[in-house]
Amino acid sequence: MTARTGPEAPSLDRDVDASARTELPAAGLGAAVGTSRRRVLRRLLRRPAGVVGIVLTGTVVAVGLLAPVLAPFDPFAVVGPSLSPPSGAHPMGTDALGRDLLSGVIFGARTTLVVAGLVGVLVLLIGVVVGTVSSYLGGWADDLLMRLTELFQVLPRFFLAIVVIAFFGAGLGLLVLVLGLTSWALLARVVRSEVLSLKEREFVDAARASGASGARIVVQEILPNALPAGTAFLGLILAQVLLIEASLGFIGLGDPNVVSWGYLASQAQRFLRVAWWMSVFPGLAIAVAVLGLNLLSDAVTDVLGTSR
Amino acid sequence: MKARALVIVLVFSLLAMACADTGREDDGEAQETTTTTTSGEPVRGGTVVAAIDSDPGQLNPAITTSGAVHYASELMFNGLVALSPELEPVPELAESWEVEDDGALYRFQLRDDVTWHDGEPFTSADVKFSFEEVLLEFHSRTKASVGNALESIETPDDHTVEFRFTEPYAPLLQQLDVTEAPIIPRHVYEGTDPQENPANLAPVGTGPFRFVSYDPGQEIVLDANEDYFKEDLPYLDQVVLRVIPEEGNQVIALESGEVDWLFEVPGPDLSRLQESGEFEFIETSVNPGGANCIMTVSFNLDRPIFQSVEVRTALAHALDREQFLSRVQFDQGRVAEAPIHSGIPFGHAEGLNMPTFDRAEAERLLEEAGWVSEDGGTRTAQGVEGVPDGTPLAFEFLSFPTFSQYGELFRAQLAEVGAEVSLQALEPPVFADTVFTQRDFDTNVISYCNGTDPEIGVRRMYISSNIAPIPFSNAAAYRNAEVDRLFDQAITTVDRDDRSAIYEQIQEILVEELPYFWLVETVATRAYTTDCQGFGEAGHFAETAFCEQ
Amino acid sequence: MTLGYVGWRLLQVVPTAAAILLIGFLLIHLAPGDPVLALAGESGDAEYYAFIGDKFGLDEPLPQQLLTYTGRVLQADLGTSYLQGRPVAEIITERVPATLVLSSTALVLSSVGGVLLGLYVAARPHGVRDTTVSSSVLAVYAAPVFWLGQLAILVLALGTGWFPVQGMRSPGSDAGGLAALYDVARHLALPALVLASQEVAAVYRLTRVGLADELASDHVRTARAKGLSGRRVMLKHALRRPLVPVVTVIGGRAGHLLSGAIVIEVVFGWPGLGRLLLTSLQARDNPVVLGIFLVVAFAVVLANLATDFAYRWLDPRVRYQ
Repeated sequence: MTARTGPEAPSLDRDVDASARTELPAAGLGAAVGTSRRRVLRRLLRRPAGVVGIVLTGTVVAVGLLAPVLAPFDPFAVVGPSLSPPSGAHPMGTDALGRDLLSGVIFGARTTLVVAGLVGVLVLLIGVVVGTVSSYLGGWADDLLMRLTELFQVLPRFFLAIVVIAFFGAGLGLLVLVLGLTSWALLARVVRSEVLSLKEREFVDAARASGASGARIVVQEILPNALPAGTAFLGLILAQVLLIEASLGFIGLGDPNVVSWGYLASQAQRFLRVAWWMSVFPGLAIAVAVLGLNLLSDAVTDVLGTSR
Repeated sequence: MKARALVIVLVFSLLAMACADTGREDDGEAQETTTTTTSGEPVRGGTVVAAIDSDPGQLNPAITTSGAVHYASELMFNGLVALSPELEPVPELAESWEVEDDGALYRFQLRDDVTWHDGEPFTSADVKFSFEEVLLEFHSRTKASVGNALESIETPDDHTVEFRFTEPYAPLLQQLDVTEAPIIPRHVYEGTDPQENPANLAPVGTGPFRFVSYDPGQEIVLDANEDYFKEDLPYLDQVVLRVIPEEGNQVIALESGEVDWLFEVPGPDLSRLQESGEFEFIETSVNPGGANCIMTVSFNLDRPIFQSVEVRTALAHALDREQFLSRVQFDQGRVAEAPIHSGIPFGHAEGLNMPTFDRAEAERLLEEAGWVSEDGGTRTAQGVEGVPDGTPLAFEFLSFPTFSQYGELFRAQLAEVGAEVSLQALEPPVFADTVFTQRDFDTNVISYCNGTDPEIGVRRMYISSNIAPIPFSNAAAYRNAEVDRLFDQAITTVDRDDRSAIYEQIQEILVEELPYFWLVETVATRAYTTDCQGFGEAGHFAETAFCEQ
Repeated sequence: MTLGYVGWRLLQVVPTAAAILLIGFLLIHLAPGDPVLALAGESGDAEYYAFIGDKFGLDEPLPQQLLTYTGRVLQADLGTSYLQGRPVAEIITERVPATLVLSSTALVLSSVGGVLLGLYVAARPHGVRDTTVSSSVLAVYAAPVFWLGQLAILVLALGTGWFPVQGMRSPGSDAGGLAALYDVARHLALPALVLASQEVAAVYRLTRVGLADELASDHVRTARAKGLSGRRVMLKHALRRPLVPVVTVIGGRAGHLLSGAIVIEVVFGWPGLGRLLLTSLQARDNPVVLGIFLVVAFAVVLANLATDFAYRWLDPRVRYQ
């Protein structure tokens, strides 16, 4: 493997991934061809990082899915006294208007799922298409697509998101669109390098020899093997997306019609000195979700990288 | 008696002078006061550090109404007059004045002992220049009010200025303070583009403090003007205006002793600061955007949903205004009991039949109006005129980002009666464009500042000739010929009691028809460390202040 | 790294820069909200609106405005601020040092801190020490930066009183020389630490993995066999190669650092570009917004380019594919 830092390294260079840009970081991760999914999972569970990652991510997903069942109150309803500290009735306290913070955090998980899910789909779609097309066509098309990828990789997407949302209005849809359209570059590079390395392998040769068309080889033989590495990177990308969403909320650019952790954090800012709970709990929730995704992705990358 | 003329011109000029309180970023305060809370012998020396919300960018108050600029620069300048807490003019650059021709001619006698910070003498030519070349071109409020009525400015000698108007113009003396008409030096600005003159970053004024330095985004440092024309003033050696954009951080800075003065204590921290005993407070209804402001909900009467007075009344009954006062305003203010602010005693009506908080009544009225609820969720239309059956009772609520808490509570309270509200926070320029130019909204909240006379800040909200595109005017698009007529009648009514009666009549109609709903009258609380005293309320806050050493 | 390669990479910057300019310009000019209204304030005077629109060239058709703007940008002229009536380039230049000081301090702190932590655990990978350090680094990395800032203010600044909470200098301080430097350093400490604590993760992981690989490599084993001490081996032989990516990753982190800086500037009242951007957005001072966007985007592009060159220069094994 030619990547200079080993398969783990690129995982933490977030916004602009220098190593992924200058070289092909995860080339050959998908070499875990033949590693059955069950084996990957078993290896994942053998690593503490994998276990913690699965537990944290799983918790967020479960809470998000079950939000209406779990939440004691409507997160927007005034149900208690103003600024009440954590208590039996309101385990995470209430905000200035008397809304239950626990319910807010629970419904926030649901928003997190929606944002992460939709951005994930967009990123996966664009990243896989650009990466595959680019590597398979080669030549000027590859060059052009890679220039485009590079542009999106250097584009400061937090700045861009701030400007777009400040000008066009805060809304979940716009947020998903902006983050999705600007976050796929790393994935495209990973997929491209995976496909490039897989293209030369025996089973692809075999398929080619048996007369399968190029497109069919890509879809049936190469992509399924390139995707695991892609999803590991997707997790890292989504972790970043969650942090950006939270930061946008913090500077007051969150969607006011959806309870999200970033929105809760922005509400907390004015009450820092009087109501620590308003800041601490949403902040913790964000950290848990991001940590879970990071750990899980790391572990997956690790498992794929060593299972050759 | 000049009252009649006063009213005519007021109407003419002040329609557009929206003193809508645009939150913490917008206008300079409308009045200047010279109150002090002196309780000891003034001490000389010392520095006061004051927190300001945002970087002013430049420091010439004559070319803008931006609150950021005015907070940061007014200490360096003067107006011809200052305003007392009762809003009466008191001498400043002008030591006396006379009014002739029923208010069509004002003659000001200027002080002859005033010099600019660079040593040049101050003369009537500076006043004429400031108005003709700068204020009437670039100061949007003064341009729109005085500018439309003024005929000429004459300077018979170096220390006399005459303002001549085409018709009697009574409110002039309320518009000559440092906020509305700061005087700037002709010898510095003559022959230049006032918006790009380098002196905007290093001003030369006549005020109690002189410019020392300006670090953009950081702070402005001012030193005492040794030659200030007001005897013994200022007491302080230095004033530092520190840019701290986050209000929570302003409080932290006050508590840690990094700053000594806050223009506005955020509600959540007020009681904590009061209990600590380390700070003094000044409560004032002179807000950054103007005096006597009421947080007001507008219903867009162009929208079919809100054309029914029953629906508007129902929504008003659904709103618990005490909760707005306590949980959004943190008790800084009072519940509005009339469309005209209680700070204008002769305009404010008593004993009006304002809708009280009553959810059952709200639900009954909504049912009656054809908005039915089947499962306790959002109501839907059933035979409502202009609305297809099955349409949900869902609408938008717009506010400035600074007022988003009003929206949050509005949404929570209306959800209880089956109305679904979605919120949108828009920065002031976009808000003005959306609400007043495009009229693309359902409901909104605006801090309508009534000013000191109903003609200034009340009339603009209700008369039908004021619907779009004038910013911060008749947001509801309210049309009532009777109300139009009564406002016109009020202008020409000289006797104050008669005028009161007319306003009372107007308010009765308004409360019955509810084109708006008036939530709370707001006040702001200034805070300062107990080491200092003698502060004023507004831009010249530090002129008479002094601190223990 | 040939001269041809350098030229080719530089040439590639042109379309990137053009694309950034186009994206920024279109975004801002197609956005709702009339800048004339923002500028003219509340006067409601049609004549005044026309005057303002004319003064700032807001009445021209969009392609015309784009052409004019591009021409100006090429001459380093970013236009005039609607709000302040001053050249945008001048306004931005005033704020650049603050942001630069903050982010470069954080960059240095995080690089040094990350390498030190990497060294600290490298001797015994997968031990208790490694687990503790690795998981804390990762946990900090997962926390939103504004939240860390808030906690730092509550605990470190207000709790101990050692650090000022706000701004870059003490109010009204006219100290010069060393005293001024000390004053800025005291104000810088918390924001830079918070920003750096987030950045440590990337460097730490690179160092740790690189060192682990290297310690297992042939030439290090040879050095050990020759009887060199553990510390000597570590510093002289093992650390060199892992440092290459640490150094070169700096450019790639520029964008992320600047994003973090915006948020940190808000939390700590640091008078940099981020705060300028937010106030300009609120006032719809479009020339300033666009100017900042361009400056930041170009800075990130250049940082990446520089990284690329540095990397190729330091590690000749890499060839342009």
